[in-house]
Amino acid sequence: MVISGLATGSIYALMALALVIVYNATRALNFAQGEMLMVSAFLAWTAQRAFGLPFWASIVVAIGGAALLGFIVERVIVRRSPTATHWDVLIITLGLSLVLRALAGMVWSHDEFPFPSLFSNRPVVVGPVRLAPVSLGIIGASLSLMLALYVLFTRTRLGRAMRAVAQNPRAARLMGVSVERMSSISWVLAAMVGAVAGVLVAPVVFLSTKMGLIVISGFTAAVLGGFGSMPGAVAGGMLLGVIENLAPLYLPSAIRYAVPFLLLIGILTVRPAGLLGRATTRKV
Amino acid sequence: MRRAVLLVFVIVGLAWPLLAPRYFVFLASLVFVNAIVAMGLNLLSGYTHQLSFGHAGFLAIGAYTTALLGLHGGGLPAPLALLGAGVVTAAVGVALGLPCLRLEGLYLTMATLAFGFVVIEAILNLDRLTNGADGLRVPAARMGPWALTTDGARYYLVVVVTALLVIAALNVTRMRVGRALLAIRESEIAAQASGVPVATWKTIAFALSAFYTGVAGGLFAWLIGTLSPDAFDVFLSVDFVVMIILGGLGSVPGSIVGAAVVTVLNDALAGFQNYRPLIFGTILIGCMLFMPGGIAGAWRRQTAP
Repeated sequence: MVISGLATGSIYALMALALVIVYNATRALNFAQGEMLMVSAFLAWTAQRAFGLPFWASIVVAIGGAALLGFIVERVIVRRSPTATHWDVLIITLGLSLVLRALAGMVWSHDEFPFPSLFSNRPVVVGPVRLAPVSLGIIGASLSLMLALYVLFTRTRLGRAMRAVAQNPRAARLMGVSVERMSSISWVLAAMVGAVAGVLVAPVVFLSTKMGLIVISGFTAAVLGGFGSMPGAVAGGMLLGVIENLAPLYLPSAIRYAVPFLLLIGILTVRPAGLLGRATTRKV
Repeated sequence: MRRAVLLVFVIVGLAWPLLAPRYFVFLASLVFVNAIVAMGLNLLSGYTHQLSFGHAGFLAIGAYTTALLGLHGGGLPAPLALLGAGVVTAAVGVALGLPCLRLEGLYLTMATLAFGFVVIEAILNLDRLTNGADGLRVPAARMGPWALTTDGARYYLVVVVTALLVIAALNVTRMRVGRALLAIRESEIAAQASGVPVATWKTIAFALSAFYTGVAGGLFAWLIGTLSPDAFDVFLSVDFVVMIILGGLGSVPGSIVGAAVVTVLNDALAGFQNYRPLIFGTILIGCMLFMPGGIAGAWRRQTAP
């Protein structure tokens, strides 16, 4: 139970990471992140079905397609917005999520499709517990991606530049960092993380145009951990996954679908800065 | 010139049930109900620049309150039932707004999105009261001994209520609350420094917004006759957002025009479910990129000398 919660949680964590990456670079929320994930999962499926590519190649197609989509969205739409406040970007990406979902519905229809999994279905027995390899695979893949992101953000020049922009865009610009380029790279990176999350989650929830709604869980996870904090996003995602899986054991089962929402309202009321976030005081 | 145009609109509006076929009378009523919600949402978003994705939830609360008042309230007259719906919804709005409005815009948006889902889950699970997914039949609106059972009668009720709420919305900037909200819109920090309690007024704006939506919910319930939770999903909230972005933020006439366009489009595209979100999404993106201020803003630029 806890393990499968952690597996769901790592998907949420990846989603939250994607949101936080864009938020840190541009102070805006990408409402279309979920739809971008859905489109990349569909791309992988098409690559496999129509062109008979092996699984690994289709994942590469999904990640590449997502990167291209993120690049185009940032360059062609978001950057053209006259003021580009978080309000503008929120509404633009809201419109974008509607458009992407409608287009996906036209291309691939609104049905649900089974998505092949990387991992076998035979449970692994470790002592007294039986574990589903799918869960372990998801957790493993997510953790390695998170590790890669950690290395990218702490050990490379690019990561340092991105963190500088997140901390103070003006100072970063004075130090010779191109804020626009970082914003572009952030969108691409976030789309790629989202694509991985999409390929991992598709075998579990089935492939459908409704997949995009996962963005809400991702946002809840990010808020839970403190919006803007990357370790917080990971912790929040894991916590949310476990809570969501355990809640039906103690509460009426109908409540499961309301859990993320109740949790979101609750955390915003009690501790808006999140578990790992630092409270920001605003001077008046 | 402007007066003449306005006069024509009023006359056509009043004579509409005599001129148009029944279905178009219903559609016009729906336009007005949506206009009330759009005005309410605009009171919140136009002044505080905070988006709500929870207005379908507020609409549902208003609608179910009216239906339950009709079922168990013993022939309550329509104005009182609407007032009840508005007050109950405003109370829920305050309960949600108190914690959320201290937060920045982004968080409020997500909290209201969550609220919308919680309302639908609540309706589904309180099935003894709301009849859950099976739907709840709404008794007809009553005015003393009469029951408003025809489309025409319901239309006139909707028109009168809309007119009252339009007048109130147009005059809100002349009152203390309106001035406070204007100050907040221009600069929260300056308003706070001048002794305007920002959080309190924002909560009041939220309550007003919810009140409008609750009243609209009551009218909506009588219009459609049967309530079921799937009529109030998140896409309805998105429709409301499209109305105010297209119409123009902070503009009362804009809210009405936006509501009319979206309602009629929705009706015309009923057979093309795939194109609806495509068109609405394009409207949102297009407005933000090329027409900030919506139709009202474009109109102002056209007519300005």
